[in-house]
Amino acid sequence: MTAVTTDAPLACLFIPDMRTEWSGWLAFGIVWVLTLAPGFALLWAYKMRPGEADGAPDVWPVGTRIARNRDRATLVLFAHPQCPCTRASLAELARLMARFEGRLGANVVFLRPLDVGGDWDSSDLWRRASTIPGVTVVRDDDGVEAARFHASTSGATVLYDVQGRLLFSGGITSARGHEGDSAGLQRISSLLRTGKADRSDAPVYGCSMRHEARPALAIQKETP
Amino acid sequence: MKTEERADLAAQAIVRRAEERFRAHWMEIATWTDRFFAKLLVGQWLFAIAIALLVSPYAWEGKTRTVHVHVWFAIFLGAAINAFPVALAVRRPGWVVTRHVIAAAQMLWSALLIHLTGGRIETHFHVFGSLGILAFYRDWPVLVTATLMVVADHLIRGLFWPESVYGIASPEWWRFLEHAFWVLFSVVFLAMSCLRALKEMRMMAERGAHIEALSESEWRRSSVLERVEKVSA
Repeated sequence: MTAVTTDAPLACLFIPDMRTEWSGWLAFGIVWVLTLAPGFALLWAYKMRPGEADGAPDVWPVGTRIARNRDRATLVLFAHPQCPCTRASLAELARLMARFEGRLGANVVFLRPLDVGGDWDSSDLWRRASTIPGVTVVRDDDGVEAARFHASTSGATVLYDVQGRLLFSGGITSARGHEGDSAGLQRISSLLRTGKADRSDAPVYGCSMRHEARPALAIQKETP
Repeated sequence: MKTEERADLAAQAIVRRAEERFRAHWMEIATWTDRFFAKLLVGQWLFAIAIALLVSPYAWEGKTRTVHVHVWFAIFLGAAINAFPVALAVRRPGWVVTRHVIAAAQMLWSALLIHLTGGRIETHFHVFGSLGILAFYRDWPVLVTATLMVVADHLIRGLFWPESVYGIASPEWWRFLEHAFWVLFSVVFLAMSCLRALKEMRMMAERGAHIEALSESEWRRSSVLERVEKVSA
């Protein structure tokens, strides 16, 4: 192991032996940058790729088992119980519930395909959702409720007013599995505070909830 | 040679020796810190893989699971981040280039760990912790390299994926400066402590050179006396 005696990298350019070595390190450095730049670009592209969003029904669907509040807005978040990205959606939901305590009721609806094992949906996400004040956790057998609300990506969130009219449909994270402020969260906050928002949607980031038993989960449209 | 000339030469020798002692001490610190960072970088890589396996082992599509892309990023992107700085730390510890590459790599680790932990606010403290550890080098330009990496990360992501940084699709152009400011706030004080540490190191080197010169002159005088005693005996 040799320690370079000079602290000035430019000096290496004028010493023949070190010039070769300097070139080697320079080439290594260029390869390093050229590897890392696309590597991080791929990571960001993955994080920012939204899932499918089919648009929720304009009015609260009839026949749904999910209870709608008559005295305050109702939020429904559809989740895949094993999706690690949904942890961020639940963290944002917890913040939202704390911010609008008493002014918002929420349901977290966990998908459960018919032919899965007994404890498939008893995940840490289920437990976490159960601990958020003001949140009711619902099991969605075979994704029937998700189909009613046209939700096909874990983290899809809908907000309805007391009359059952759709206010917002979309995601509440800024990227896949990423906590922090997001357009969806800001729009919901604005709607709850002022009744207005610049848009009524936002991209949804999360795992797909489509499964073999019901391949056309989100295509099934129902009229109120 | 006149007494004044001899005194000048002696003073110059002390200054040269003080500079040598200072550079040797700094090189020792830089070498130790490079090797320390080599271990830290490898440790962070293993930690990132463990985090990915624990937090997001699988991605799901309905009932079908596949290994989560985070696991592959932790293994391969983590290895790529470490390759160059660890090679430099092992082969060229103490070199000025080594510590700047390490500073850049350490900031990239902050970015990767923030992604792997789902953007948790707590993981953002890794940036400030890393700046503190980089101050071990007592070389303030290293902190500038780290700051530039943070600024570049925010600037590039702010241009292409603004929501991933600021949570909104069209932030003001200067928003990256707000984030960079807090890094700069920390860096300014760390840089001041680096400069102070260097000043103290220089003082120590000067004192050491003086003591060396004094003991050398003492040794010379005693050897002359010994020789005089031998001759007179």
